[in-house]
Amino acid sequence: MRYIRYNYPTRRSLPVAAFGRGAWNGLESEIDRLFDAALSGTANATTGGRFPVDVYQDTNNVFVRAELPGFDRKAINVEVVDGYLTIEASREGDDEKAMRATKFNRSVCLPEDVTTDGVTAAYVAGILTVTLPKKEEAKPRKIAVAVK
Amino acid sequence: MNQMHSLIPSFCRAPVVSQGHRDEDLGPTAQPTYEIKETDDALGLTVNLPGIAKKDLEITAEADSIRIVGKRTWDRPKDWTVLYRETSDSTYLLELDHDNGVNTEKAHAELSEGVLRLSLPKTEAIKPRRIEVA
Repeated sequence: MRYIRYNYPTRRSLPVAAFGRGAWNGLESEIDRLFDAALSGTANATTGGRFPVDVYQDTNNVFVRAELPGFDRKAINVEVVDGYLTIEASREGDDEKAMRATKFNRSVCLPEDVTTDGVTAAYVAGILTVTLPKKEEAKPRKIAVAVK
Repeated sequence: MNQMHSLIPSFCRAPVVSQGHRDEDLGPTAQPTYEIKETDDALGLTVNLPGIAKKDLEITAEADSIRIVGKRTWDRPKDWTVLYRETSDSTYLLELDHDNGVNTEKAHAELSEGVLRLSLPKTEAIKPRRIEVA
C-alpha cells in the first residue's frame, strides 16, 4: 500500500501565530496576515483539503476511520472504485457560524481481500468510520475434522 | 509562506505538539485548528475537535485567558489491528489569551459533529460606541 501521509498542521503551517511570544512573532504574524489576506478564498489553506485517516482490520472487516469535523451527513460521499476508497466531503461557507467553504477529498488504497458489497459508514462526533467486509475466502475458517 | 519560512530561520517556532509543557497530567497534547471571527459585539471561536463528545470537553475561562481541553476517549476495540495510522491520540489543548474584554459569564458554547463554536460577548467597555455631536 502506498499513501501520501497527512501531517497535522503545525505552527509553521497555521495562519497567524498571534498567541505565541518571541522575537520573530510580531513580524511573522504580520507577514502571515498579509499572505492570509492575499490567499483567502482558496480552499482550506491549513490542511490543503486533506484530512487524516486510519486503517484497521479485524478478522472479518477492514475499517477506515477519518477525521472530518463539522460536515452534514448528506455532504459526505464514500465510494469504492478499483481497490480505492474515496471519501469526499464538502460544505458551503456560512458567515453566521464562521465556517469557510471547504472541500475535502481523500483516496485510500484498500487491502486486496476486501469486497465492495455491504460497505457501511457511520458518522459520529466528526469521525467517519467506514466498514468494509473482507472476502469470504480471506476470512479464517474453522474446519471440523472428523476423527474416525 | 513556506518559502518565507525556509528563508527565515526558525528561532522560536516549535511544532504545536510541544505545547502543554505545563500540563504533565494531560500527557501529550496537540493544538486543534481554530478560527476566530470578530463582530461588533462578540468574538466567535470555532475549534475543530473531531472525536470529542460533550463529556470529554472542558472549557475553563480565566480572567484573561480561555482554555479548552478535549480528551479523546475512543478506544480501539481489542481485535482491531492497525494497518495504517495518521491520527494521533494526544489530548486537544487550546489556550488563548485575551485582553479581559470578554464577558465570560455570558459565553455560549455549542458542540456539534466535532466542531466547537464558542461565542464570547464583548464587555460593554470595549464595544464601539457612537458619540453624538451635541
